[in-house]
Amino acid sequence: MLLYLSKRIARSFLTLIIILTVVFCLLRLMPIEGYFQNFDKMTPQQIEVGLKEMGLSDPLPLQIVHFFQKLLHGDLGTSRIYRSNVPVSDILADKVPVSIKLGIWSMVVSLLVGLPMGAFMARYQYRWFDKIGTFFIVCIQAVPAAVYFLYIQLYGTQLFHVGLLFQIDDPNYWILPVISMSLGNIAFYGMWLRRYMIDESNKDYVRLAKAKGLSEGNVMFKHIFRNAFVPLAQYIPTAFLNTVIGSIYIESLYSIPGMGGLLVTVIKKHDNAMVQGIVLLYACVGVLGLLLGDLMMVMLDPRISLGKKAGDR
Amino acid sequence: MERETILEVNDLDITFELRGKRLHAIRGISLELYKGEILAIVGESGSGKSVFTKSFMGLLDKNGSVSGGNVVYYGSDDKVPVELTGIKKEKDWLKLRGHEIAMIMQDPMTSLNPLKTIGAQIMEAVLLHQKGSRTEAKKRTLQYLTDVGIQEPEKRFFQYPHEFSGGMRQRVVIAIAIACNPQILICDEPTTALDVTIQAQILELIKELRLKYKLSVILITHDLGVVANTADRVAVMYAGDIVEIGTSEDIFYDARHPYTWALLSSLPQVGIKGENLFSIAGTPPNLYAEIKGDAFAPRNPQALKIDFVKSPPYFSISPTHKAKTWLLDERAPKADPPPVLKIIREGGLF
Repeated sequence: MLLYLSKRIARSFLTLIIILTVVFCLLRLMPIEGYFQNFDKMTPQQIEVGLKEMGLSDPLPLQIVHFFQKLLHGDLGTSRIYRSNVPVSDILADKVPVSIKLGIWSMVVSLLVGLPMGAFMARYQYRWFDKIGTFFIVCIQAVPAAVYFLYIQLYGTQLFHVGLLFQIDDPNYWILPVISMSLGNIAFYGMWLRRYMIDESNKDYVRLAKAKGLSEGNVMFKHIFRNAFVPLAQYIPTAFLNTVIGSIYIESLYSIPGMGGLLVTVIKKHDNAMVQGIVLLYACVGVLGLLLGDLMMVMLDPRISLGKKAGDR
Repeated sequence: MERETILEVNDLDITFELRGKRLHAIRGISLELYKGEILAIVGESGSGKSVFTKSFMGLLDKNGSVSGGNVVYYGSDDKVPVELTGIKKEKDWLKLRGHEIAMIMQDPMTSLNPLKTIGAQIMEAVLLHQKGSRTEAKKRTLQYLTDVGIQEPEKRFFQYPHEFSGGMRQRVVIAIAIACNPQILICDEPTTALDVTIQAQILELIKELRLKYKLSVILITHDLGVVANTADRVAVMYAGDIVEIGTSEDIFYDARHPYTWALLSSLPQVGIKGENLFSIAGTPPNLYAEIKGDAFAPRNPQALKIDFVKSPPYFSISPTHKAKTWLLDERAPKADPPPVLKIIREGGLF
């Protein structure tokens, strides 16, 4: 298990290096006009000096080596255009925690609501709770998120007496964004858990558990739930990371100073160092998510053993 | 010899609603299960064997229901007969399931929860049905594991189902059933999914445990070979009815019903090398439709005219042996039993 883990982590690092190199090279293919505010009026000499200052006139392999050297010292480079001469790490350090906090809360809420919802829907299949839940899920899935986000903001801000300008230290201001972000995941967990649990409840071991004399509720929660949760568990870390990095709309709706939309902004502005830094962050987050997902599967399902090759007994 | 009845079925009817149509799965079965015996129920697929026994535990699928007759259980601790067919509430079934009647299912590969250790799964039954602390329950669990022939129980306790072979899993399933401490054990084709060498071991185990834990066993199977060495009595089921019932000797040496004859003739063991094995022509009747006369008549080359008109009653051949066929009526022409009975008797096959 430990051996597997270390191998897996090493491979994750390799993945990161490849991603960074590819992105680095791609960025260097961009037209150089974008690096300068007034490219049209500059002389070739000025341009050359400018490129040199930014370290862009070296041969590409050398640039890559420099980039990784700096990275090892924790230096993600300096933003030139997004914010003039501010280290990328400082900019991210301001924004990332906000997004992560939002992501964690939304995950906690969606798991705490979504899983019980799915479980109860499966337990009372075709009864009124199931019907209401299904209606809710269909609504969430079918209505574009932007529409209900707007309604939540419209009515929610009155309900909680919060202003439009986000105040990071006031918990009241977090409620609406977290709810907005959770709804989609609640529907997701609810829908899939219900479906997996109903699938499981037709299996033989459930019949045996019933024949044992366990009550229906006990069978549901002691036997079916965990079996149904295994295929879901894999997606939870990824879903969490998606909420962290994919909350562009909500963050802009509530003017939350997170990092949603940051990547698009800095790509438009040709801020290579910023792009690189954010890609590194996203890549780490993605690789970590997959790793955590697999680890959760291993913890939940004894049949899956990562340390051993298939066929080992 | 007067034997104590533990379960009594009177004229039981079970119907299923399927897309607006009614399927008459069990058509008026009467049967007694005696204390301590192994009663085999044999019949081909779809004859209603499983449905019949599931109704004893309230485990019929939601669209199925008992539409007539009753099942009475005499084995409860306070000696008060319980009418199983009268139980409506899930809560009342829970008092019976496992505790009085336990069940072993066909496919051991899928009947265990893959995510729980087998120890936990057996202990769950112990804790549910027997008094005592967790430590005691664990001790008992280890004892059950030993009883069902699993070596190194201390180590096996903490293993998961996927670490067991099919035969071992079936042993675990049996241990779970025993751990419920039941009076009646229903074995629903316990050996069908296992290979032949393991089959014999499992049957042997069931026989052993019956004595040790004083169980009454209902053994459902479609394999007469399994029955011969295991069962005390045999009930032959066809199209939701029991057409012949008797002791193993009665059925194997002195079968009277044409369907039983056909079943015995189909045994691969009595086939002659170089000749085609016997098979019963036709298919079982459609249970959606009303069955007129003897259900087996259309497939029976020796069927009498009356077989198509009127359903035969039981004719007693001996106190232990009865069959539902007009051939036993005194007015019926004499029908010769097929050669298979002679082969079995003389060859000492069973």
